[in-house]
Amino acid sequence: MSFREPAWRVVARELESSLEEERSASERAASYVISPFGSRMNRVLLAGTLSPAEPIGRDESQPFWRARFTDPTGAVAVTAGSFQPRAMAQLRAATTPRSAIVVGKVHLYRGRDGIANVSVRAESLRTVGEGEERAALADAVRQTLDRLDLLARLEEEPNIAPELLARSGVPTLWISAARESFRRYPEADRTQFRKELQAAVRRVAGIAMATDAPALPVTVQIHREVPPPPRVAPSASERAEESLVLEFLDQVAEASLDAYADRRELLSRVGSRGLGSDRAEEVLTRLEDEGVVEEPIVGKLRRA
Amino acid sequence: MSEPVPPSAPREVRLRDLRPGEGPVEFVARVVTCERREVSRKSDGSRRPLLSGLLTDGTATVRFTWWDPPLEGVERGSVIRAVGPEVGEYRGRTEVTFSWKSRVGPASPVELPSVDPAEIPELTVHDLRPPAEGFRVSVRIARISERSVTVGSERRVVYDGLVADGTGAIGLSAWTDFRLRTGETVEITGGYLRAFRGVPQLVLDERATVRRVERPDLPEVESVLEAPPVPMARLEEGEGGAAVAVEGLVVGLLPPSGLVYRCPQCRRNVQGGVCRVHGPVEGVADLRARIVLDDGTGAVTVNAGRVDTERLWGVTLEMARGRLRDQPDPSLLESELGDVLLGRRLRVRGSASRDDFGVTIQPDSIELVDVDLDATAEQLAARAAGGRL
Repeated sequence: MSFREPAWRVVARELESSLEEERSASERAASYVISPFGSRMNRVLLAGTLSPAEPIGRDESQPFWRARFTDPTGAVAVTAGSFQPRAMAQLRAATTPRSAIVVGKVHLYRGRDGIANVSVRAESLRTVGEGEERAALADAVRQTLDRLDLLARLEEEPNIAPELLARSGVPTLWISAARESFRRYPEADRTQFRKELQAAVRRVAGIAMATDAPALPVTVQIHREVPPPPRVAPSASERAEESLVLEFLDQVAEASLDAYADRRELLSRVGSRGLGSDRAEEVLTRLEDEGVVEEPIVGKLRRA
Repeated sequence: MSEPVPPSAPREVRLRDLRPGEGPVEFVARVVTCERREVSRKSDGSRRPLLSGLLTDGTATVRFTWWDPPLEGVERGSVIRAVGPEVGEYRGRTEVTFSWKSRVGPASPVELPSVDPAEIPELTVHDLRPPAEGFRVSVRIARISERSVTVGSERRVVYDGLVADGTGAIGLSAWTDFRLRTGETVEITGGYLRAFRGVPQLVLDERATVRRVERPDLPEVESVLEAPPVPMARLEEGEGGAAVAVEGLVVGLLPPSGLVYRCPQCRRNVQGGVCRVHGPVEGVADLRARIVLDDGTGAVTVNAGRVDTERLWGVTLEMARGRLRDQPDPSLLESELGDVLLGRRLRVRGSASRDDFGVTIQPDSIELVDVDLDATAEQLAARAAGGRL
């Protein structure tokens, strides 16, 4: 059973420090970005300042906008494309920096030079008052501290029973995320990160201004010996398969009561048109990665 | 087909001790529910009358099927003696069938076995899940109110409430007036459980007994109704119940939200003028919001009704309909509602149920929450400075 991915409350610094991801080998599962500080995120909620957006990409039929999101600990790019029309409209609306809450999917891009770069593709965002921004930032700091405490606890007692932690209110997902964090970043400096959170606490207290941009440069870089191969553009036949899948997705969604397309039904429909289920799953995974299709409920698909 | 009843004398048993294949038995029980219908034979199309329902004798409740029942004299509350019924099992639950091979007749309530309460196993609220039965449970009445409902053509009063012990809370629905008062502690025997919107509910009817008991150890009303919010991850991991509280931010809306049309008979959502159960109907306009609330550890769906939706949105049903006349695109209303709610901090109390898609909360109350930023900042400063709590 897997439910809707929770929106992890994190500060920008944690996203900047995240260099590892877990991509789904199997067709169904979502992909996750693993941070050094105990998070295994598919979706995040950020509270901070959003700068005016700029368009990227030259294809006018596929508008894509990017804005810089900052909080007192760091900065990260927030993007929205035509598949997130309302988020894109909100992103484009502002002409000056403003307080905002952003909910979106985390993506990790690794350039040819091997440098990892995290961005957040907004699903929804809203301009908020300063009080709301500070309250949401407080959640992020509190939960980040909770995760750091959990990491410290696991470091002291590596063999502690998960049930024992669960009884004290620690979500089971956090325990596995923390263990994965340790495995991937054995050397991470978590004490330093705890200190960096103090800037966010000052913001919660109303001391630092919203425009108080972080002075810290991005210091964590990872260089890979072999850069991963660049993504190949899909071929014409792959495009044809995508449009077949999308066409049936729309049909199935149209006919269903809840406006979602049932995954199994979709697979059987495209199967009857000669697209095998393994192949169809690959196409669906690609469409989900590209943000065209989403699966907000397991087994239920819709256009993103 | 089964063998004819062997000539050995039937053994008198309690329903709790009924087992398939243990020889002829005999029991006295009260009819809890019954329904008369006819089943048509496939072979010749003839129709055969059938009475089915539930029987209890205080030790257990079993389903019964009665072929060719008497035309009258058997109804809810009747006490019957059954000799030589077929005893079977369906999905792990015992059932009895009365046919020409059994003798069933009226009996007097005094023939019902007397059950010593101490014999009945005591359960905690946490363990009250269908199909538990033949139990007793001690609880505090945290909330009770009466409501009048129509069952068939009959008006009846139902007493709805919430009861709790140290292990949890469960909704209560009493079809008999036990004069329950908020705050008192009672021992309930003879209740049964059913799932209402996926949440177990304790049901009491005239066969249940309620005894006032001194149980100062049971949680106070206030601590039941004002329980602090729990992490949503806990609900996703299987905790839940009739009185949970969560707090989180609105991260989205699920369709259908905004202006919806409901079947005038069953209030189900009408799609394209057609109710799933009642066919083509004239839909009645209503407002609702299926709010996705997230607290960072998990997410729940909160089904907000009209009153809460109007209050959170600041738009009444009439205003929404007016806007639809000016701008006939219902999806705009849904988007606007989404924009207004997004990022709002809500504390929701209600009953939580879980299915394959996640946790849903039927709210008793939805409040907008204000955060005390100064106090919060102070706590966080102490923790960020290195101190672990």
